[in-house]
Amino acid sequence: MTTRAPRRRARRTGHTLAKALAVAGVLLFTLFPAYFMVVSAASVRTTSGTDALLPDALTLDSFRYVLFDAGFLTYLGNSLYVALVTVAGSSLLALFAAVAVARFRFRLRTTVLLMVLVVQMVPLEALVIPLFLQVRDLQMLNTLLGLSIVYIALSLPFAIWMLRGFVAAVPVDVEEAAYIDGASWGRMFWSVLLPLVAPGLVATAIFSFITAWNEFILALTFLNEDDKFTVAVGLRQFYGQFTTDWASVMAASTVVTLPVMVFFLLVQRGLAAGLVQGAVKG
Amino acid sequence: MSGTVLTRPAASAAGSAPPPRRRTLPRLRKQARPWLLLAPALLVIGTLLVYPLGRVVWLSVQDYGLRNVVSGESDYIGADNYVRLLSEPYLWQIALPNTVVFAAAAVGGTVVFGTLVALLLRTLGPVVRTIVISCIMVAWAMPAVTGTYVWIWIFDVDRGIVRQALVALGLIGADGVNWFTERLTFYAIVTLNIVHHGFPFVAVTVLAGLLTVPRELYEAAMLDGAGAWQRFRHVTLPTLRPVFAVVTILSTIWDFKVFAQVYLMPGGSGSNMEVLNLGVWSYIRSFGRQEYGLGSAIAVMLTLMLLAITIVYLRALFRDEELR
Repeated sequence: MTTRAPRRRARRTGHTLAKALAVAGVLLFTLFPAYFMVVSAASVRTTSGTDALLPDALTLDSFRYVLFDAGFLTYLGNSLYVALVTVAGSSLLALFAAVAVARFRFRLRTTVLLMVLVVQMVPLEALVIPLFLQVRDLQMLNTLLGLSIVYIALSLPFAIWMLRGFVAAVPVDVEEAAYIDGASWGRMFWSVLLPLVAPGLVATAIFSFITAWNEFILALTFLNEDDKFTVAVGLRQFYGQFTTDWASVMAASTVVTLPVMVFFLLVQRGLAAGLVQGAVKG
Repeated sequence: MSGTVLTRPAASAAGSAPPPRRRTLPRLRKQARPWLLLAPALLVIGTLLVYPLGRVVWLSVQDYGLRNVVSGESDYIGADNYVRLLSEPYLWQIALPNTVVFAAAAVGGTVVFGTLVALLLRTLGPVVRTIVISCIMVAWAMPAVTGTYVWIWIFDVDRGIVRQALVALGLIGADGVNWFTERLTFYAIVTLNIVHHGFPFVAVTVLAGLLTVPRELYEAAMLDGAGAWQRFRHVTLPTLRPVFAVVTILSTIWDFKVFAQVYLMPGGSGSNMEVLNLGVWSYIRSFGRQEYGLGSAIAVMLTLMLLAITIVYLRALFRDEELR
């Protein structure tokens, strides 16, 4: 009895220690690339990996250079434009479609839902060739609007899936109460349903934003003038020009990553749920 | 003057006509409403996702080069592109193995590591768990493009931190090794990139599943003398089978169509043909060598492989639960 208690305590300490080590390992692996990116960008001397790892001093010179001298601000503006058009378009269309599939029982409803689900699985590599020809025929190559319209289509299926869950979660009683008060369907939609699904709409908008901001292959194909590049393509241009200047490449990467990270952390809860439960729930 | 006289009877006629129709009109309007709401979304999805999908199949049976892009005309050549494709040793020796073996390694790595992290997360207290999950999300939030550049920088052949560490440890010579030229090391880096980016989804999803497993099941298993592995094997795994099915299949779909993470790596955009996967090969065949027909055939093949996986996915999802 006297020997067992300390031994058990020792085992428990060992257990806790192992767990702490495992957590530290996971955190190190997860956070290292982000840490390394920021520190390489902000270090006064990024001539090699080990120099950057633990910087002597920090500076914002690389950021200043990247944004104002190297023209990255233009790419940021382009990306912002494309992302905002995508968010506006896909949120509106997805909201209407989500209300239709969540609130109405009609023929072919299951077919529509399945199509929305399956269309998400289509690889962009298969769409890039016909989309390139299509956008070229419309004379919209090299325009940010053309790219935005395609992004609306890309982000729509997932947006409909996500919003469907949010709309379905609003009790039908609330709608019926509005009807009893004499509201028309349109009035009920704008003053009752819309405010209630607003949080879902925000989440969906953020996902559309991230989709448009991160997209690479279509931007690479559609845009071939420097002043039209979005950040994803601009970064590649940048990497090609400054192959040896890792501080600048990492500074640009940090600027591109930051807004996505902030938005992502805001909605991360919804994402896993949207990917898994959105598909399972009725 | 005469116009108003003429239209007025017509308007009043239209006004007096409805009575017999009035009963069906609201019903018709109610039936049309979901379709009116769906119409804009379906139109966009139809013209920009479904129609191009049909067109890529059509392109894959055409001889479609730069000349045809300019003229808009094309020559139907039947299955010639597919015959050429399937008889090309490059497909069997390089592109297909690069795609499939890499996807298998990446999916395996992502699911196993993600599950281990989920099991670890379950043992943590709520506060620590929330903090760790938030940190893990940083990896998921990293855009593919910037994430890839960070990994390239980490593995930079001349001044990268991995090279310096290995040289310092005496594991490689001072000349260093160019791991971007070798297929195996190239894809080892891509796999690391993908696992790093993909495991948070698995961890969070499996954790959500783990938290729903009744504690009594584990307690009963422990009373029966089951060890940690046996509890995982006989309690967790069967209970969470649907969750594992979903994360595995979604990861498979994502890893099959990896593009930026390969294309942006040194040599990945065509200068090193050894390291291309199906997606990048299709892209380079189309836009680099202007063989849009053949590129489309490769893309169709990739899509068919994904479609097969998607069907498995849908069956796993809707086995018990009917889509209402």
